[in-house]
Amino acid sequence: MASYAALLGRKLGTVFLTALLLSIVVFIVLRIIPSDPLAMMLPPSATQADIDFIRKELGLDGSIFQQYLVWLGNALQGDLGASIYFRTPVLELLKTALPPTLELVLVSLVMALAISIPGGVLLYKLERRKGEMVADFALVFLLSVPSFLWGIILIIVLGVVYPILPFMGRIDPSFSVDTITGFLLIDTLLQGQWRAWFDAFQHLILPALALALSFSPIIVRVLRSSLLDTAAAQYVNVARLRGQSEWRVLVHHMLKNAALPTLTLIGVQFGFLFGGTLLIELIFSFPGIGNLMVQAIKNFDLPLIQGVALVFCLMVLVVNFCVDGLYAVLDPRLRTA
Amino acid sequence: MKIWQKLAVGLACAFCLHGVAAQAQERPQELKIAYPVDVPNWDPTAVTFPAGQSIYKAVFDSPIFVGGDLQAGPRQIKAWQWLDDSGTKLQVELRDDIYFHDGSPLTAEDLKFTLDRAIENKTLALHGMIPTLESVEVQGPHKAVIHFSKATPTALKGLAFLSAYILPKAYFEKVGPEGFASKPIGAGPYKLVDYQRGSRITLEAFDKYWQGEPAIKRVIVDIVPDSSARVAAIESGRADISVQIPVREVNRLEKNPNLVAKVYPYSEIYILQMPSYVDAFQNEHVRKAMQLAINKQGLSKAFYNNQAQPISVLATKGSPGDVPDFKIEFDQEKAAQELAKAGYSKDKPLKIRMLSTNNTFPSDYDVARAISQMWSRIGIEANVEEITVAKYLELSHSSKVPGVMLYSWANATGDPEIFTGRILDPRLRFSTWKEPGLADELDALNVQMDEEKRVEGYRALNQKAAENAWSLPVLQSISTIAYKKGLNVETYQTGYILPQEYSWK
Repeated sequence: MASYAALLGRKLGTVFLTALLLSIVVFIVLRIIPSDPLAMMLPPSATQADIDFIRKELGLDGSIFQQYLVWLGNALQGDLGASIYFRTPVLELLKTALPPTLELVLVSLVMALAISIPGGVLLYKLERRKGEMVADFALVFLLSVPSFLWGIILIIVLGVVYPILPFMGRIDPSFSVDTITGFLLIDTLLQGQWRAWFDAFQHLILPALALALSFSPIIVRVLRSSLLDTAAAQYVNVARLRGQSEWRVLVHHMLKNAALPTLTLIGVQFGFLFGGTLLIELIFSFPGIGNLMVQAIKNFDLPLIQGVALVFCLMVLVVNFCVDGLYAVLDPRLRTA
Repeated sequence: MKIWQKLAVGLACAFCLHGVAAQAQERPQELKIAYPVDVPNWDPTAVTFPAGQSIYKAVFDSPIFVGGDLQAGPRQIKAWQWLDDSGTKLQVELRDDIYFHDGSPLTAEDLKFTLDRAIENKTLALHGMIPTLESVEVQGPHKAVIHFSKATPTALKGLAFLSAYILPKAYFEKVGPEGFASKPIGAGPYKLVDYQRGSRITLEAFDKYWQGEPAIKRVIVDIVPDSSARVAAIESGRADISVQIPVREVNRLEKNPNLVAKVYPYSEIYILQMPSYVDAFQNEHVRKAMQLAINKQGLSKAFYNNQAQPISVLATKGSPGDVPDFKIEFDQEKAAQELAKAGYSKDKPLKIRMLSTNNTFPSDYDVARAISQMWSRIGIEANVEEITVAKYLELSHSSKVPGVMLYSWANATGDPEIFTGRILDPRLRFSTWKEPGLADELDALNVQMDEEKRVEGYRALNQKAAENAWSLPVLQSISTIAYKKGLNVETYQTGYILPQEYSWK
């Protein structure tokens, strides 16, 4: 238990150090790009004197080092500055935008697992059988379609041609849901609004599915090869010799062990899933972090880009931290390593 | 069929039926608009954001209104007069039947509060939009005199344009700037009842609006930045109006029996900004050759259904600064001759850089590529590079634009000061042609109180600018809209989407 705690402590320390280094990298990179964050906020009649005044007001007149120290000092006190474009505290923007993205990503992760676990098992079962080539081809095809294209295809098919699912926003405007956690699926439940929950879930289906469809083929592939590896393991042969059914061997022995590399992959790929929200949120008018990042980049809103980039980094680090923790739980060998 | 299979089929049917039911649900007094952009924030005096003006106008209304004819007319300010000949004291009288959404009346104190904030706070866009604002003197509950530091003949246009909105003094002071930005109230036809940044704006008709409660009681503005998603929204019936859809989609949607789709002229102009600090453009013959080689009508036909009008000066057709008798005709032969005078030809081509945004304005990048092709026929090789508006503004501000730039200039007032006065003023960050002599000329025009002389002066300057090819006017921009057949929709040259003016048949 003590070694497990020490392992988690070490990992947590790494997360903080990595976050600090990332904040330095993001800060410096954004400052050395030859672009002026004031460009979009000044009126056409602004004179040089106006520009100098506003630059000073926003603290953009110091050296990079000075600016970073000020930013870090404020960030440690929970102040990430104010967005130049939105003229609103960055933290407030992030607080509103993060729950929708997390909700979207988590639902898409569940969908991806719902697709890829049976998919991986199916592909494993088809090994050296008739349908293997077709399944391989389908997998390569799915791998080659990016999430935004899935988004457009899903909108056309399930939004326009067969208009059965909504594709704009998070919930129908006829529902009024008070914000408690920011997660609509939770807030609607807490307020006992079942129809609103159903509607919010419907609004999540298409964007989450678009992300899941581009994410799941990778998991399918890794799960299949992990299953093939475990199929040759001794403990699997022993289970078979004990007379256990193929299905029982697969579910009780092989899947559990094959899940370890898959779990690692999910941790690594989570960043890509998060990155995918940039375009998906834009296409589905989803008010999340991805949408916010696109706005921030478009307007070269330095404080906001920094804030969102930091959140993206932290999310990936936290997920990897959790995956490492889970890995240690699932694989006892790692606790003593 | 097993139980779980039946359950699955049942669930799937429930999903479909629920979706279809939601689709078919009638909301007679509701309007859903698929709109491309969200507002940056809810203090409309803080930002210059042409694309969000329709939303601001719905919530805040405006002191002066510029209609489809681009003439300034009364709105919240019902009457005005200059108290001096030098154009520094403007007396305005507000209507006495205007209320803010909290029920408090709009008075001259609110006007003073709004303008005083702009005078004191240089970071507010309103400060930059009417930089000559000096003070406001309240003369009665609905009467005030606005003082300017120098003659400001375009003050009324300024009060109708970007960032000029009257804010409620008492409410603003009570909740503070951040409180106001999170829960704004105005005196416009609609109250903001729900706001999800980057996703949805829900507005409800204001029963005390001075022009009467709007016919459409609830307006839902869905922010849909992706143009194909906006098309999908109107096609699927999830939106009643979809704005700024691609022109090619207008042609397709026109054939849909349930929809009206159209392209209409808009008070923006496509111009080619010539940076005077780039060597190649200092040669007058090069600039003139570039100007003559552009087949503007061809561009309009190819990209805008022939709806975008070719322009020869820095003004929209029919606006005060337009010079109707003056035309720069497309003449490839003459263009080649001009280029030859500069020492270039097809055998010895001139190589330049060309910048354009991509999908910021309708068909912008395609137009830039087409112009580059036209130039290649006379011996100018223009390498088209994509650029963001933010990057362009930053380069323009630091006088480092490396090539000719295709840009669309918005001016919902149509006034020549906001076209030529801003595009050519060498002291301002938007100008790329830095002709020092133009500063004095513009200063003289900007304080000219005789409207006829002011407009005449601008027309002469517009013609001179075109003859010297300091900035190349190309086309008057267009806007696009698609809406359900049962809806009465007015389109304006200002491009405003005004739900208070719409109704269901």
